[in-house]
Amino acid sequence: MAKDRSNSSDYTGPLKRLVFGLVLIGLLGLFLVWRIDSPRVEKFRAQVVDTVVPNFEWAMAPVTGMVNLLRDYHSYQRIYQQNQELRRELQQMRAWKEAALQLEQENARLLDLNNVQLDPRLTYITGVVMTDSGSPFRQSVVINVGARDGIVDGWAAMDGLGLVGRISGVGQRTSRVVLLTDSASRVPVIIQPSGQKALVIGDNSAAPLLDFIEAPDRLRPGDRVLTSGDGGVFPPRLAIGQVLQNPGGRYRIRLAADHERLEFLRVLRDYANEPITDPGRLIAPRVLIPEAAEEQGTEAAEASNG
Amino acid sequence: MAERRHPGIWAMRLIYAALCLALIFLNLLPLDTMPRGWAGPDFMLALTCAWVVRRPDFVPLVLIALVFLLADLLYQMPPGLWAAFVVIGTEAMRRRAPLLRDLTFLAEWFTVAVILTVITIGNQIVLAVLLIDRPSPGLYLMQLVMTLACYPVVAYASQIVFGVRKQAPGDVEAMVNRK
Repeated sequence: MAKDRSNSSDYTGPLKRLVFGLVLIGLLGLFLVWRIDSPRVEKFRAQVVDTVVPNFEWAMAPVTGMVNLLRDYHSYQRIYQQNQELRRELQQMRAWKEAALQLEQENARLLDLNNVQLDPRLTYITGVVMTDSGSPFRQSVVINVGARDGIVDGWAAMDGLGLVGRISGVGQRTSRVVLLTDSASRVPVIIQPSGQKALVIGDNSAAPLLDFIEAPDRLRPGDRVLTSGDGGVFPPRLAIGQVLQNPGGRYRIRLAADHERLEFLRVLRDYANEPITDPGRLIAPRVLIPEAAEEQGTEAAEASNG
Repeated sequence: MAERRHPGIWAMRLIYAALCLALIFLNLLPLDTMPRGWAGPDFMLALTCAWVVRRPDFVPLVLIALVFLLADLLYQMPPGLWAAFVVIGTEAMRRRAPLLRDLTFLAEWFTVAVILTVITIGNQIVLAVLLIDRPSPGLYLMQLVMTLACYPVVAYASQIVFGVRKQAPGDVEAMVNRK
């Protein structure tokens, strides 16, 4: 017995060290490959999410529902007060609805006069939010529509109210939406009514930062922020939110989308987009891509010759 | 003897995997899509440490690597890096497990704290050196502190509920006698 044991420890010691080394090399190798060639590994990640997450789906909805029910319990206690508030808000909404209807009619008349064709291709697919990112370090959700439903990397996702994020990582049945609040999110925007261009930068807080503003002194808290469509990242004129100014003088955005409860997301089909073939590549206007720039250069030369 | 002991060990390994999957599942529930600005404890890490220190044979290295790699992939973290650090950390604990068996819980807690701090800092350094986009280190620090704070509870719970306790000298004799 004793001999046996010593034999086995002689045998398992180096074997264990070998396994340890192999596992470590495997993990660090995967990490390095991800660092060097992230699109391929991200595709693999999307496939893993695609196989694992739908298996949880049967349990996910009821558990989430239960937790939300318990959380909402305290709000039932002041249901009468809420009812009163809602009635008051409804009154105000009626007035707004009237105004909106009038504006809609006027708008329709003007469009008719000008014979404007709105882009008919901007339709949407609605998906249900299945999971969030699972860690406090990233802000993203996984929705239950994927390549099977024609989802393409880079499309915009909205809830009913405003822009929520951008598709990044598509599996067969699922796709990941990186939210505007994620620290990797950058969106070119236009601020109305002053018409300035700026960038909305996610920084893992509830209100993303507004930066690279042309003339900050012409900005007012409460100005509307829309996507500008620059670089073809998003279709233009999607609502994002309103400008806030914090006491330090920095500008932030109050998001129009209700991030407290993301349940259904609309993914806008946008075929006019620059084709984004892999998630890690630089997304730039045509001018910055070498071949296109060369073409333009030769054209310009020809033009000057002529 | 081998035949008698194996089902128990494999059952415990299965239980460990199931617990980790359940924790991943709970983390993934879309309850908080708002950025919170604070980080809760990493229960999976605390559980793994508590089990490695008490019964290293219940949590084989390959299983730890697989579970944490899955978590890396699902949580949208750099794949493999944190899993590698966890494997290194748990191996360090595994080597000290026979020593810790005779010491108090406080010594065990301290050892775990030192190892987890080292691997967290190592992770931060690698992320910084390779210029990987990451949120403020404060969040990682908060998660580390929370994990260490909940470690006694996790250790106690696994002792009570799953019977993962340190092997006393009598256990080995009992096992030998049983043969």
